[in-house]
Amino acid sequence: MIECPSCGRRQQPLLICPDCGSPLAAPLDCFAALGMPRKLTIDLGALERRYHELSRKLHPDRFASSAARVRDASLRATATLTRSYRTLRDPVARGLYWLELIGEKLSENNKRVPPELAELVFEVQEQLAGMHDAPADSDAARELAAQVAQRRGQLQATMDASLADLELNFVKWDQRSDEKMLTLRLKAILSSIAYLRTLIRDVDRALENSKAA
Amino acid sequence: MAYSDKVIEHYNNPRNVGSFAKDEPNVGTGVVGAPECGDVMKLQLKIGDDGVIEDARFKTFGCGSAIASSSYVTELVKGKHIDEAITIKNTVIVKELNLPPVKIHCSVLAEDAIKAAIADWRKRKADHAASSEEQLPKSKEA
Repeated sequence: MIECPSCGRRQQPLLICPDCGSPLAAPLDCFAALGMPRKLTIDLGALERRYHELSRKLHPDRFASSAARVRDASLRATATLTRSYRTLRDPVARGLYWLELIGEKLSENNKRVPPELAELVFEVQEQLAGMHDAPADSDAARELAAQVAQRRGQLQATMDASLADLELNFVKWDQRSDEKMLTLRLKAILSSIAYLRTLIRDVDRALENSKAA
Repeated sequence: MAYSDKVIEHYNNPRNVGSFAKDEPNVGTGVVGAPECGDVMKLQLKIGDDGVIEDARFKTFGCGSAIASSSYVTELVKGKHIDEAITIKNTVIVKELNLPPVKIHCSVLAEDAIKAAIADWRKRKADHAASSEEQLPKSKEA
C-alpha cells in the first residue's frame, strides 16, 4: 500500500490517485502500471486504450502550475507508463520481461545454440561474405544478391513461426500447466528469435549495401 | 562506445579465421551463442593424441568484442594442453582486451567456446574408440 502525498489516501500502488487524480511516482511492475492483469496473453486493444487514457491524465502539461513534487511525480509516472506500455505491447519484450519477473535470465545456462539454427547462421553468413567479396556490379554479385533476397523471405517465415510459438507459449502460461517446462520453452523460443533477429539484421544490411553499390 | 586499441587490432586483423573440416577426427568444434544479443561463435581446436592443442580456427558473427575475444583465444590456446586450456577464465580475456562491463559476456562466450570445443573433441574421441571396437558387428549391420 502507498499513500497519496497530495490527498493522503492509502491505496494499492497505481500511477494515479483514484481520489484526487494526482500522479503517483510509485515503482510499479509493467502490468500494475497499466492496470492490466498479470497475464502473458494481452488484450492489445484494452492495453492501448488504457495507455492513452493514463497518458492524458498524467501528462506533465496538466501539472505545469502544480507543486514541484507533483510535477516531478507526473514526469516519473509518465516515464513508467511509457516504458511499461512498450514492454507489454511487443510480445518479445513482454516475454523477456516475464522471465525477469520470475527471476530467470535469458542468458543463464543458455549458451548452447540449437544445432540447426547454428547451421543456418553459418550458412547465411557465408552467403553474405560471398556477396561482399563478389566484384561489384558483376553477374556473380547479382546472382548472390538474388539468393540472399530469397533467403530473407525464408528467414522471415522462420521468424513468424517462432513468434507464433511464442504466442502459444503465452496461452499455456496463462493456463499454468507446467511452469518449469514452460520456462525452458520460453527461453528457447526467445533465444531463437534473438539469433534470427541478428541474422535478419545482417542480411538486411548486406542487401542494403549491395543496392547502394 | 569506444573499443580498446587491442579490440580494434584483433577486429581488423583477426587471427586464425576459418574452419577445419568437421569430420577430421582430431578436431573439436564448439558452437556457442549469446541469446541476449544474438551473437554466434564457432571455435575449432585441432588436438593431438597427447592432448596438446596444435591449431585453432574461429568464426564469429557478432560485435567487435566477440570477434576480438575469439581471435585472442585462438592464439592463447595454441600449444597448451587441454587440461590447462579448459581452466582459462574469461577474466584473462577481459584484461588483455580491456573489455568494458557491457562486453564482458563476449569474453564469457569465448571461455565457453573453449570448453565446448574440448568437450566435443573428448566425445568424438570416445565415440571413435567405441566404434573401432565395434567395427566388426557394425560392418555386418551395414
